[in-house]
Amino acid sequence: MIDVKFIPETHIERAAIELMAAYGQKYGDVAGPPIPAEEILECHLELSLGFDDLAKRFGEPGILGATWIEDKNVLIDQSLDPAENPRIEGRYRFTVAHEVGHWVLHRHQLVAARSAPLLNKTPEPSIICRATAKKRPIESQADRFAGYLLMPEEMVRRHWTDTNGSQSPYVAQDEIAQLAAQLNLAKDDQPTVGVSKRMAGAFHVSGQAMQIRLINLGLILTKKPPPSLFA
Amino acid sequence: MAGNRKFGDRIRSLREAKKKEDPAFSLRKFAQAVGISPTFLSKVEKGEFAPPAPERIKKMAELLGVDADELLALANKMDPDLSDIIKDQPKAMADFLRTARDTGLTVEDLRAITEKMRRQND
Repeated sequence: MIDVKFIPETHIERAAIELMAAYGQKYGDVAGPPIPAEEILECHLELSLGFDDLAKRFGEPGILGATWIEDKNVLIDQSLDPAENPRIEGRYRFTVAHEVGHWVLHRHQLVAARSAPLLNKTPEPSIICRATAKKRPIESQADRFAGYLLMPEEMVRRHWTDTNGSQSPYVAQDEIAQLAAQLNLAKDDQPTVGVSKRMAGAFHVSGQAMQIRLINLGLILTKKPPPSLFA
Repeated sequence: MAGNRKFGDRIRSLREAKKKEDPAFSLRKFAQAVGISPTFLSKVEKGEFAPPAPERIKKMAELLGVDADELLALANKMDPDLSDIIKDQPKAMADFLRTARDTGLTVEDLRAITEKMRRQND
């Protein structure tokens, strides 16, 4: 497994914005959510997308996706097929965008790191992506790219204003505490608040992914801000 | 389920050529338009699953802009229209087809006869 180079956050975000712009130039601007993640992967980047039972293929559970850089081929685990399981749409799209992230950010490093395949042997994927809590840097970079691609800041802020009337943040501390008590969640588990779920529906992402994005953009505050000195 | 590699390769290459220009040919959108799941289409294209029912194959041909009979032949399937035609005239039509076969007509002969019948009908 390769040690990926550090990539500044702004570079990851810019790569996602530039990819969207290039897609827009060819196929028409994406005016609003949802972002066409599959079309970006399949039509613009000209990668093949397919589904397979990846646990069976690789002999281990919990694999969400795999990419073969040289073959321009991406396989997603069939448990994420949104036609079979519409409730998993957000996780499916995030996985597609994550594999796009590997292609955009890491393909040159992955190709360089690969040793020549043995003759007559089906080549191993360049990268296998697992559903694990603790992620290696290469995986967390692809996750962050997916977040930027599926939830661009400008589009999220515009949608927030359309929904809430202003750019003012929502202090979610009480709702989080109330939901955590209702759902009997562990101390570190954060429930998804209503506004995250509603925005997630528009962007076809999971409520959890949207909530992380809204917190990072400062639109959801998980703690009440201290009183302003100038109030 | 035994797959059909030739059929899968043909569908995949036709669809991949189209998808570069038109996002309606992405795996999911094409599967949706044909009325099958993306996983099923993916496995048919890889030759892991057998081709779908003739009606679905005809829909694929229509969307991909190719002759349905070509895809049906690759899939070793018969257009349901043909069995209906035989069922309408079970004795005469079966006799007609068997005679055409037994008299050793070539593809060119069959095309010429078809064209002649078409002209008479116009």
